[in-house]
Amino acid sequence: MKTLAALKVLVVEDEALVSMLVEDMLSDLGCVVVGPAAELEEALRLAGSADIDAALLDVNLGGRPIFPVADALKERGVPFAFASGYGEAGLSEGHKGATVLQKPFREADLRKVLESLAAQVA
Amino acid sequence: MAAGGIKGLVRAMSRAEGDEVEDLLARLGAAEEALAEEVRRSRALNRIAEAIGAGHDAETLVQTVVDGGVELTGAQFGAFFYNIVAPDGESYTLYSLSGAPRSAFEGFPMPRNTAVFAPTFKGEGVVRSDDITQDPRYGRNAPRRGMPEGHLPVRSYLAVPVITREGAVLGGLFFGHPQVGRFGARAESLMVGLAAQAAVAIESVRAREAAHAELAQRRDAEERLKFALDSGRLGSWELDVETRAYLASDICKANYGRRSDEDFTFDDLVASVHPGDRDRMTAAIEDAIWHGAEYDIEYRVRAPVGETRWVHARGRAAQTADHGGARRMAGVSLDVTERKRAEERQKLLVNELNHRVKNTLVSVQSIASQTLRTTETPEAFRDAFEGRIMALSHTHDLLTQQNWEGASLREIFDFELEAFAARDRIGFDYDRDLQLSPKATVALGMAVHELATNALKYGALSVSGGEVRVVWAVESGETHESPALRLTWTERGGPPVVAPTRQGFGARLLEKGLAGELSAQVSLAYDSLGLACTMRLPIRALEP
Repeated sequence: MKTLAALKVLVVEDEALVSMLVEDMLSDLGCVVVGPAAELEEALRLAGSADIDAALLDVNLGGRPIFPVADALKERGVPFAFASGYGEAGLSEGHKGATVLQKPFREADLRKVLESLAAQVA
Repeated sequence: MAAGGIKGLVRAMSRAEGDEVEDLLARLGAAEEALAEEVRRSRALNRIAEAIGAGHDAETLVQTVVDGGVELTGAQFGAFFYNIVAPDGESYTLYSLSGAPRSAFEGFPMPRNTAVFAPTFKGEGVVRSDDITQDPRYGRNAPRRGMPEGHLPVRSYLAVPVITREGAVLGGLFFGHPQVGRFGARAESLMVGLAAQAAVAIESVRAREAAHAELAQRRDAEERLKFALDSGRLGSWELDVETRAYLASDICKANYGRRSDEDFTFDDLVASVHPGDRDRMTAAIEDAIWHGAEYDIEYRVRAPVGETRWVHARGRAAQTADHGGARRMAGVSLDVTERKRAEERQKLLVNELNHRVKNTLVSVQSIASQTLRTTETPEAFRDAFEGRIMALSHTHDLLTQQNWEGASLREIFDFELEAFAARDRIGFDYDRDLQLSPKATVALGMAVHELATNALKYGALSVSGGEVRVVWAVESGETHESPALRLTWTERGGPPVVAPTRQGFGARLLEKGLAGELSAQVSLAYDSLGLACTMRLPIRALEP
């Protein structure tokens, strides 16, 4: 169990305006932003080896689904949440039931999701 | 001649004997004549019977009967008047004639229901008169008393009603002769017989004609139905519930990917329905059979070859069987693959639209949040926020105009700078324009807006004489690098600029946002000559 303060969060988001907003929100919450990664290769690299506690993943990365990154995080036991304009409908079969932050979201919504992720951090 | 040979003998006989022989001869002659007459009549009757049996149409049949009647009775004129009910329900009397041209009657109206004609048309019995003009029933009806001027000169008159076994009057046979006393009891009884025969024949011909007409009508209706089904691409089908025999039209078979000459059973049909839809389909069939429910269902079909198709089937159960269920089901089927695909496309589009709207809302949220962090007053916030929303809107206009397939780099500048006051002080220098993806268009659109707004407020465009030079070129990559777009925005002739102490929205978007989103390297150089922004954007991140 970790608190949000100094929680290292990997952000995967391909739209500049969106990732800037998420960065601001995370900073406000006291978290440390890792990334943001806008490309799948970079996201996979960070998900596999970066020093992170949790991750926030945009479902669609320039037309490519994010799920390989989610799989890599699962493998490492890093809790994550999806951020998507599609809501849960945009998830693949293997990730149904995962935490989804529906875009657009408030800072309070992000805090709730991060707290639930932080609770899973060993 | 036997009689001629006997004449010599007669001369040798006594007067009494001679008279007797004369008498005998006369009687013999009369008997021979009667016999010949009888033979003639019987031949005529045979001919009529044959004609009746030959299966002609009603018109020809009636003509044969009238001609035969004239021959048998020795009449000069014969006619058959019969009632035909027209399709609109009105009753007409038509006629066949013999011994007189049709023109002899054409000037006159149809027989009226006069005292003379009534017994015939009402089917009350035969009217036979040696001289109809002397008959008490004759000439009693106004306006004409007797035959109209120019009528055939009828004195001897014989009229026999033609009545079916059920008692319906089909019409009447009429015979006439200009001389009196021409029709005897013998002629009457012959005509009564002929009328009875004619009644049977007319009835059977009418029944046959009606059957033919109905058959033709059904054939027409069937053809029309087939035409309608074919032009609507509707297949038709019928299922025998007990035997499971299935009757499918060619189009119906085609809906399941079968040729018209292929066998197609109900079991084949069920097997070709997609496993995911099969239970639903069979349940609907059962529901229609046992509860009379409307069968109306869409399901996927796996044809023997080719892709999965969608079929819309509708039908209804008919004829209840002893066990309470239906005996048979019939209906239509329609290939609705195109409609289904269109629906799926539409669903995808609506989802995609929703996604874009949500993303745009996040962009607006981000712009609002960052503008708020970097402006001092509500007025400044409003000014900057509105400008950025308009920039985003311009980019969307440009993309919508191009069906969201992207836009060219020059178009992005033109759209963002369209309402820009100092537009003519921004010069361009490039070899060729570049087509960019929608994502890159949105990102660069906002970047251009930030650069231009900054130049107008604090940079070269804030004073007269200041200029901006936009230069771009595609650089083929160095050894390990992919080709990239090198774009510079250089301001000259403005006030000296210094790097701001706090990073504003524009600088952040350019230096960090573009760097992340488009894998770009962006540098902002603030020096005494003016601002210079240099971007290096990998082509792979820009292209559609």
